[in-house]
Amino acid sequence: MKKKLLAILLALSMTLALAACGGGGGEEPSGEAAGGDTIKIGLIGPVTGNNASFGNAMVEGARMTVAEINAAGGILGRQIELLEADDRGDATECMNAFNNMVAEGVQYIIGSATSGATAAITGMANEEGVVLISPSATADDITTEDDYVFRSCFKDSLQGDIAAAWVQQQGITKVGTIMCSADNYSSGLVNSFTAACEARGIEVAADESTATMDAQDFTNQFTSMVNAGVELVYAIYYYDAVGAFLVPQARAAGFDGIIMGADGFDGTLDYISEGTDYSVFNDVVYTNHYDATDSSPVVAEYVEAYQAEYGTQPLCFAALASDCLMMLQKAMEAAGTADDPAAVRDALADTSVTYEGVTGTFNLDESGTPVKGAAVIEFTYDESVGGVEGLGTQLVTTISADDLA
Amino acid sequence: MNKTVKRGYIVNGLTAVLAYAAFCVLAATLGQEGGFKLIIAPGIWQCCYLILLAASLNLVLGFMGQLSLGHCGFMAIGAYTAALMSLAFERAGVYDEKSGAAFLAVLFLCIISAGLLAAAFGVLVGIPALRLKGDYLAIITLGFGLIIVNVINNLPFAGQNGLAEGSAAASLYATGLGFGSSDRVAYLWAGVGVTALCVTLMFMFVRSKYGRAVRAIRDDEIAAAASGINTGYYKVLTFAFSAFFAGVAGALYACCNASLSTVSFSFTNGSILNSTFVVVMVVLGGMGSLTGSVVSAVVMFLLNYQIANGAWVDALPGFIQGAFTYPMLVYAVVLIVIIMFRPKGIFGAYEFSLLRTPGELARRLRGLGRGKRANKGGKEAAAQ
Repeated sequence: MKKKLLAILLALSMTLALAACGGGGGEEPSGEAAGGDTIKIGLIGPVTGNNASFGNAMVEGARMTVAEINAAGGILGRQIELLEADDRGDATECMNAFNNMVAEGVQYIIGSATSGATAAITGMANEEGVVLISPSATADDITTEDDYVFRSCFKDSLQGDIAAAWVQQQGITKVGTIMCSADNYSSGLVNSFTAACEARGIEVAADESTATMDAQDFTNQFTSMVNAGVELVYAIYYYDAVGAFLVPQARAAGFDGIIMGADGFDGTLDYISEGTDYSVFNDVVYTNHYDATDSSPVVAEYVEAYQAEYGTQPLCFAALASDCLMMLQKAMEAAGTADDPAAVRDALADTSVTYEGVTGTFNLDESGTPVKGAAVIEFTYDESVGGVEGLGTQLVTTISADDLA
Repeated sequence: MNKTVKRGYIVNGLTAVLAYAAFCVLAATLGQEGGFKLIIAPGIWQCCYLILLAASLNLVLGFMGQLSLGHCGFMAIGAYTAALMSLAFERAGVYDEKSGAAFLAVLFLCIISAGLLAAAFGVLVGIPALRLKGDYLAIITLGFGLIIVNVINNLPFAGQNGLAEGSAAASLYATGLGFGSSDRVAYLWAGVGVTALCVTLMFMFVRSKYGRAVRAIRDDEIAAAASGINTGYYKVLTFAFSAFFAGVAGALYACCNASLSTVSFSFTNGSILNSTFVVVMVVLGGMGSLTGSVVSAVVMFLLNYQIANGAWVDALPGFIQGAFTYPMLVYAVVLIVIIMFRPKGIFGAYEFSLLRTPGELARRLRGLGRGKRANKGGKEAAAQ
């Protein structure tokens, strides 16, 4: 019995120790409001699980923006109360979190990070009359079916088209694609890229796939790319697979062309282990919602504030979550009320309103999706600095939606 | 039929009907009110499919003693079958809106077809797989689970983008079987009814001649074969029977969640619905106790839901709250505690019985009775 108790004590202490390491952010600082009559805004994101990096960036960006808005007097003179929930990137958990928030009287929700989780709540948002703005669900049909659903990011078909436009600008004529067929985001982007390439007369000479998004072996796929003789590979994965496996294995398999990705590549540099050959990250580009090194005042100000608060560069998910709050604030002010979601919805649905956010200046289209451009960013490795510090990102170009025609 | 068994059927049958009627009346009274519609009704739906999933795996794992790690594969087959069929019916114009006799017929047809197709796959997988035992069977079923998920992903008409035009989510929600908040309340009776019926069927299976044969195989396969039991036949039969209910669980999942994604049926994922966690539920509840599976499915659901969304979590001291940010740590501690103090699981091989348990409780006997018919009323109360 004593042994058992000891074992349990050990297990408990291990749990609590782990929890103490990471659980510091659990406190909610922005909730304490002066007037008591606050506007409740919910935030649903994957704070734990596979895409935790995205969810935490969302939470950090949203907390910072809420604190800024509250310090500036709030929306319509009322303070914002931010309620956070974790969906672990799972559809059912997302649904539970959504229901729980709505039952607590939340009428405005920002979330979730991935298309798969967001898809579970779009219909319910419409049914319950809750305004839902997703920062980063890029699947095309997230906003098409439901009137109460908006987003602050571009959709997959636009991002794929922008990537193809960049490929064309580079004079590349033969490309290959690698996707995860199980994932909406990966397969959706690759399909739209393939379609855009065909429309632009670029040959897609090879297409390969993996079973899961967290695949760890890309050697065969890249060998087949080398055999097909492609100049560029469009591979859509998330940061954790890209830094540790995809890029090093591509180079090891003998592929020395350009590797192109999308917004899931954001954050890759934080997940590269010491001791890898960092020069493999040359010639890796990706399309992103914004460029954190941009010198425009809006971006520079945001990045500076974020770095002062959290000590890291904001991922696009932080900036997108902040833009969601900005859109909501503007819509509430236009509607003149924060108690009537229907009026706020109508204000958001007004396609003539121009939003000036961190991730660009944009209008929403009829379905509630921003029409905006993307930044093409490349990883750079500075030999003279060496080590992980030598790695960085650099803006290659920006392509706006108008440039596509 | 002897007297006790007859009395058992009458008492349990009456209780079940009464409890079910009471539940339906209660659900109808609470109706579309906020808390019930948004929190309790979806909770009951989720409990329903978790119960079916855990109980059906218990037939294979607990009663037959064979480890299957691909149980969610059958659930995936059921979920996609039900979803695709309902969409096909809608497009064929069998029903326009989610009410009326036509929709009900489609609903039950979809649920039954989901079970039957999953059972068919159960036979296909079972015939070669059940020649193996232990670790080897575990690996082959694990492989099957992965294969199913990947095949579904790559089917042009069923993958992530395949349900109708657009993603599984939006289209399934709009026209197919997927229920919204108010439909979830309106058809709660169907979900609970199907679950109660399926659990009853499983109890009857376990108590029957087949159940005894299956338990004999678990205890000693050679002795069972020597006594004239066709072990191969009984194993495949149980496997298919178990797959049928996993398929039904999948259909309920498709109803409850307005979206489908194969991530939910994988070997592991962020939530509690995956092949690994179903095994955990069965072991936690007690291998060989359907009561245990039912209770532990509900307990795991409540634990998972409360950790993520419970209001009381805010009242806890900071360091415990910190642990709750990582739910998997909490499950680990719960599992360690249960397995150390009660290696058989919460219920061991004990079954709740309306005739026996009250008397036993009164005599304060901590009996470990053999499989007796349990009470469906109790389960519904637990599901609420």
